[in-house]
Amino acid sequence: MEDPYDSLGVARTATQDEIRKAYLRLAKKLHPDLNPGDKASETRFKAVASAYDFLSDAEKRRRFDAGEIDASGAEARHEKYYRDYASQGQPYASASGYADFADTDDFLSEIFRQQARRARGSDLHYSLAVAFLDAVNGATQRITLPNGGSLDVTIAPGVHHGQVLRLRGKGAPAPGEGKAGDALVEISIRPHPFFTRHGDNIHLDLPVTFAEAVLGAEIKTPTPTGPVMLKAPKGSNTGTVLRLKGKGVPRDGGRGDLLVKLKIMAPTEANPELDAFLTSWAPANYDPRRGMLT
Amino acid sequence: MIITKLDFLVRAAIDHRTLVLWIEEEWLIPGRAADDLVFSEADLARARLIRDLTDDLGVNAEGVGVALHLLDQIHGLREAMAEVLKSIHGSEAVQIPGASRSSKPRQD
Repeated sequence: MEDPYDSLGVARTATQDEIRKAYLRLAKKLHPDLNPGDKASETRFKAVASAYDFLSDAEKRRRFDAGEIDASGAEARHEKYYRDYASQGQPYASASGYADFADTDDFLSEIFRQQARRARGSDLHYSLAVAFLDAVNGATQRITLPNGGSLDVTIAPGVHHGQVLRLRGKGAPAPGEGKAGDALVEISIRPHPFFTRHGDNIHLDLPVTFAEAVLGAEIKTPTPTGPVMLKAPKGSNTGTVLRLKGKGVPRDGGRGDLLVKLKIMAPTEANPELDAFLTSWAPANYDPRRGMLT
Repeated sequence: MIITKLDFLVRAAIDHRTLVLWIEEEWLIPGRAADDLVFSEADLARARLIRDLTDDLGVNAEGVGVALHLLDQIHGLREAMAEVLKSIHGSEAVQIPGASRSSKPRQD
């Protein structure tokens, strides 16, 4: 990076006030939005702006002057300027700079007439809350529009939270003969009582009994596409994770997995038989807190 | 990408009253979703431009409207000029002068 004093064109002895004035003078000339057609102004403005950010920080300036740091730590300003978006058919563009030419010149008026005819209608934004299982398995949902109409939205299996679906031609009609705009539907996925989604995988906490965990069992387990039998091996425990391949969220050429985490649930009702057994049952070397307490 | 009102306020670093004022002045024209305002990246860049104008370029509130109106006309003219060039050269995309030079294969 260039010497920040050179970028701003000030002496090393310049006061903060002089530095600010120099920056403002250059910014008025170089700001990219005041020079929409000049690609070089952006590079120069960024150098000036970061030099100003650098030198207006008293501590950074002192250390730079003392030779302790160079100016490479100067941060670049925000990357995008309004001019980068101004050509995308904004609501802001104004024809008042040339409308008189178009009125009197056949060639120009024909061009602009075609342009106006082609102008698209504007895009309309909607948000749609989708049930968890509909987002995994796909569904069709109907949005009621403010004008009383409705819009059928096809939700592809595996849609993501925050994904925006573009429905071509379902937005506002064009002012002229152009195409209608698009409807942009932002999807939010409602939480499920026991499934949670992590990328393409789905997690499930599955409560099991003492006996199922200790002895092993085939357990009927819910999945997004209906219950399946899950084999819990003998000696399973709370926290044991079993993978049901291909029972997760659909993706290109397959599906993610369903990860089932077992959770042993002690009986909640009083059970004298169990109490009596556990009181008499004292195996050696059974201390789950071994290593935690010294 | 759609920007919600709250995100917009944070990313543009302005408060709600300022936003209301800018919309009243028609410096910003946000979109409208079912129940709230929505913003585009272009709206955000424009809000940052307004802040640059007032904070760094010494433009006062009256001046911002004038500056934006002139800028909108410049962009309108640039669009019109691109449209005219396009119709002269047929349907080819209009190249920004200079940009095409670097993409030509070098012949050493």
